[in-house]
Amino acid sequence: METIKRYFRPEQLREFSLVFLIVAIFMFFGSQIQGYFSPRIFNRVTSDVAIITVVAFGETLVLLTRNYDLSVGSIVGLTAFFVGKQLSYNQDMLPLVALLLAIGAGTLMGLFNGLVISYGRVPSLIATLGTLAIYRSILVAYPGNKIVVTNDFPKWVLDLGSASLFSVGGFDIRPVVVVALLIFIIFQLVTTYLPYGRRLYAIGSNPEAARIGGLPAPRLVLIAYVVCGALAGLGGFMFMVRYGDLNTAVAQGMELQVIAAAVVGGVSTNGGIGTMSGALLGAFMINLLQQSLLRWLRISDFWVGAFLGMLILLAVTIDAVIVSRLRAIWARAGLEMRPAGEKSLVKEKESHVA
Amino acid sequence: MLHRLERLKSWEGLLLVILIVVVGFNAVSTPHYLQVDNLINLFQLHIEEIIVALIMTFIIINAEIDLSVGSVMGLAGCVMAFMWGRKVPIEIGIAAALLTGVLVGAFNGFMVSYVGLTSLVVTLAGLIGYRGLAHVLLEDRSIGNFPKWFNQLGQQPLIGPFPLALIAFFVMLVIALVVLQNSGFGRYVYVIGNNKDVAQYSGVNVRRVKMTLFVVSGLISAFAGLLLAARLGSMRGDTATGTELTVITMVVLGGVSIFGGSGSLYGVFLSILIVLNLRNGMGLLNVPGDTQTGVIGALLILSVLVPNVAQEARSIWSRRRHVQRVQEVREQKGG
Amino acid sequence: MATVESKTPILQMRHISKRFDTTQALDDVSLDLYPGEIHALMGENGAGKSTLIKIMTGVYHPDEGDILLDGKPIRVGNSVEAQAYGIAAIYQEPMVYPDLNVAENIFITHRSRDLVVNWGKMFREADEILAQLDVKLDVRVPARGLTLAAQQTVEIAKAISLKVRVLIMDEPTASLSAHEVEQLFKLACTLRDQGVSIFFISHRMEEVFDIADRVTIFRDGKHISTAPRSQVTTESCIRDMVGRKIEEFFAKSKGQRGELLMSVRGLSKENAFSDINLEVYRGEVLGFAGLVGSRRTDVGMALFGVEPADSGEIIFGGQAARIRSPEQALRLGIAYMTEDRRRIGLTMPMSIATNITLPMLRKYLSRLGLVKPKDEEITAEQYRQRLSIRAPSVHEQVGRLSGGNQQKVMLSKWLNTQPQLLILDEPTRGIDVGAKAEVHHIINDLAAQGLGIILISSDMPEIMAMSDRILVMREGRQMGIFSREEATQEKVLTAAMGQNNEPKERA
Repeated sequence: METIKRYFRPEQLREFSLVFLIVAIFMFFGSQIQGYFSPRIFNRVTSDVAIITVVAFGETLVLLTRNYDLSVGSIVGLTAFFVGKQLSYNQDMLPLVALLLAIGAGTLMGLFNGLVISYGRVPSLIATLGTLAIYRSILVAYPGNKIVVTNDFPKWVLDLGSASLFSVGGFDIRPVVVVALLIFIIFQLVTTYLPYGRRLYAIGSNPEAARIGGLPAPRLVLIAYVVCGALAGLGGFMFMVRYGDLNTAVAQGMELQVIAAAVVGGVSTNGGIGTMSGALLGAFMINLLQQSLLRWLRISDFWVGAFLGMLILLAVTIDAVIVSRLRAIWARAGLEMRPAGEKSLVKEKESHVA
Repeated sequence: MLHRLERLKSWEGLLLVILIVVVGFNAVSTPHYLQVDNLINLFQLHIEEIIVALIMTFIIINAEIDLSVGSVMGLAGCVMAFMWGRKVPIEIGIAAALLTGVLVGAFNGFMVSYVGLTSLVVTLAGLIGYRGLAHVLLEDRSIGNFPKWFNQLGQQPLIGPFPLALIAFFVMLVIALVVLQNSGFGRYVYVIGNNKDVAQYSGVNVRRVKMTLFVVSGLISAFAGLLLAARLGSMRGDTATGTELTVITMVVLGGVSIFGGSGSLYGVFLSILIVLNLRNGMGLLNVPGDTQTGVIGALLILSVLVPNVAQEARSIWSRRRHVQRVQEVREQKGG
Repeated sequence: MATVESKTPILQMRHISKRFDTTQALDDVSLDLYPGEIHALMGENGAGKSTLIKIMTGVYHPDEGDILLDGKPIRVGNSVEAQAYGIAAIYQEPMVYPDLNVAENIFITHRSRDLVVNWGKMFREADEILAQLDVKLDVRVPARGLTLAAQQTVEIAKAISLKVRVLIMDEPTASLSAHEVEQLFKLACTLRDQGVSIFFISHRMEEVFDIADRVTIFRDGKHISTAPRSQVTTESCIRDMVGRKIEEFFAKSKGQRGELLMSVRGLSKENAFSDINLEVYRGEVLGFAGLVGSRRTDVGMALFGVEPADSGEIIFGGQAARIRSPEQALRLGIAYMTEDRRRIGLTMPMSIATNITLPMLRKYLSRLGLVKPKDEEITAEQYRQRLSIRAPSVHEQVGRLSGGNQQKVMLSKWLNTQPQLLILDEPTRGIDVGAKAEVHHIINDLAAQGLGIILISSDMPEIMAMSDRILVMREGRQMGIFSREEATQEKVLTAAMGQNNEPKERA
């Protein structure tokens, strides 16, 4: 028990239980649904999850600092639409350029968010509620057709969406999935081994102490928003590649899915707690559950929202009630002094008569 | 209260100036702007939102938030429409819709007051969940063909040139003003928003107050949803999406601090007028709806950003003066 | 141990002055700190202690005067620069990051040149520092679960990791249990022996006499005296802090006991207190004495229903009572005035009148539930007169009043609930001497009017002078009850520290 307490924290136990849950879901639905383990479902789930997690990793960085970014859906939508349009006008554009364009646009939007929040000191809820609307309105006001159709794209875009880097009997490992995994590894390392990442946890854990202790919180939070925007831009690119047809409602509401993934994955809305692996697991579990319920109950796609909301509540309630108790029980580490016989460092206690 | 009051009065003064500018601009660029017809229309287009803004004011002053209001509006409307689609008398549908609002509000309130979750997360989940339920009911259909009297109430004048919704708004505005600024309950709302612990230690039943606020929010949102259904004449699963942005903007722009404990309905009323006139003016200039929303978003940000920047500038200036003064004293002493 | 005078001072404050608007917080203050000493700073509230610390740590800048480090003048622009000079401070409330582990807490603010965090090295170095302090603590554990004393140890470890040379401890023991205070003092002595200069601010004379090498006293922003511990006595300290003799400023209460108001049997709350038994009579003041950490506030809060007890019996006014919420307590006639007036005692942005009427607001409502502002005003005026609250009007924002007047507003608030039992928690903490005396007079009057009063105070002379009987607690347990006649400071303190010598059970 002591070794468990020493090496694993409650948050890690939570993640393990998510893994068990996913496996359990797998087994259960596998037994109930015909053809559950088919390549089609695998490819679909992994591709969907890939896009959501990339954006979720960025959102997690922001959430760690006790802030929110509600504008990621609009950033994804705007970058997807914007790059899509550019490609349809400019068929010769190099893929790399398109990608950089998307990431660049996202970075700019993230930068704006960060400046308003870190230096304008506008609460993040308000700021990103506002930019959610502003970015969406830019998207809608974009000159030209309000839609981009797959036919407008150069061929490589469509190939990228459906091609696979390598295949194992129909189970494709698509480029978007590889990208997502790469980003995951990078950011998991960032949040575990990079001083910058650790400082984000510090800021979210105790903003007051961070300020007094001399951590440059505004700058660090700004960087988090910039990265979040960049990742959302990347997500936009991936979205465009995967779905092809775009209209002005593209990715509307995605911020909610992304936050749901993070929250279910154990990222705290109060900052200081959460991991990339958690966000990944959260996104995976939500999507898997959605797809499974869809096929099993033959219920309409429309249950998605209701279901998502319920999951968030469940996750947050469990965190509030169970995990916080666990944290309190954990590390009841009292202070131990060496036995008095070994060294005498303390003066003789004087009489207490004043 | 004096210091806050002073600050508030200056904020409301600013709002008044902005309002005059906006109305003036609109009146000049559009003929017949100040005619009764247009003014009523100005209110009507967003009447449901401003009704919800009244209860949102209470909630934000109480240091909470309700992001689910738009979804509750949609859900309530869909409940009524769903039942109507199943040939249930509309009166029952209306009752069911209102009941839904109460239940949803009670659920939100329970999670916040008794389970102890933050209202942000609970109502965020609600925003997603209740909207989802609305979609479950109506899928991607649109249900309309409501009884004539129902549509009439929503679209036609009731007393004089004023439709039901507008009358309801003003009645509710008066009630809200009295309750918030003059009643014991309103005092509790402010104190809890200012410092929950002090309220608790003073014997205030914090849980009951919060529960009441969320239940009322649910009820009013449901009522607003019904008004919307009547005005539009039909209902869809995604009706009233995105209302929360406008509602929160109206409240925050009105001088209510997002951290709770300060603000007043007078300011919110002024900001409601500003937002309505802005929207109306933009509409008359053929600015598309989404762009209007973008402008509202910018307004929301500015309403917090500008005072912050102004205060920062002021404190830098006063710090400079202080250092100057210290320098002067030092020089005097040295000389 | 080498004598302090043979070394050169590490830190010298020379002729420091600091003014805030109309208040001269520090007036030509000079002070020397030597390596390897524990230097205590005492003074009443407003004496300038925390202002001095803030100047030392770079939060404030002096209007006049210099700071010399190793004889060379320095400029401390902010807390980061102070850290670079080796000056660090730990406060009453440790500022740890609850979600980071201990090792990370220690090293997170380092300006590390490393590109990558080396966990193994971090854990090892953290272990080393703790070993230096003669402390065993699991460095992998998140700081959230640690006790307050452990958190303060982490703070100290952080300071050491930053090569601290001058460690300022600002009232560090206020929230610690007696046992934890012992541990902290052991740490301080260890550091002192390693050459660190420790600047220790405290209100608590027992602590100061326990570990200080030298004692400095401030009053009204001026440096009054500095002397080695051996040359200092309680009387000399108080005289320097206050400027007049002790007897002058305590009002003595003459208890005239009425009927039994409340009796408590076996009151217990897990992790707080156990087996509390007492009686309170009308017209008497029952003092709750004990060192900080004795959990007297927990008992008070239990009696008021804020943190109800787990078990035990309360009989109030002859009837069994279950007190599970402040509402219930108020209805019975119990009122509790908190020690933390800033955070839970008053709503600072609101007016005096609003604060006073809050618990009893329903008495100021018309039939429709609307507030009757005239009635509020009348009530507030009454209390303004009665308690001599100095303010332009009863509509003045409470946050603008002085500490003493704020305390009086808080007192009015609870008096307005017409209590039969009034529990006062540190009612004179943080207010000036004049206001203190006023509060004591008021308490006297209340008792004379037939209220029962429980007075929780860490101010030993205050408790001795004001109480008819004194209940002593230590770490959540009741050590005994002394009558006024038999109580001496020595006996009470001894009981408070746990060395029991059979006090009389109940008077």
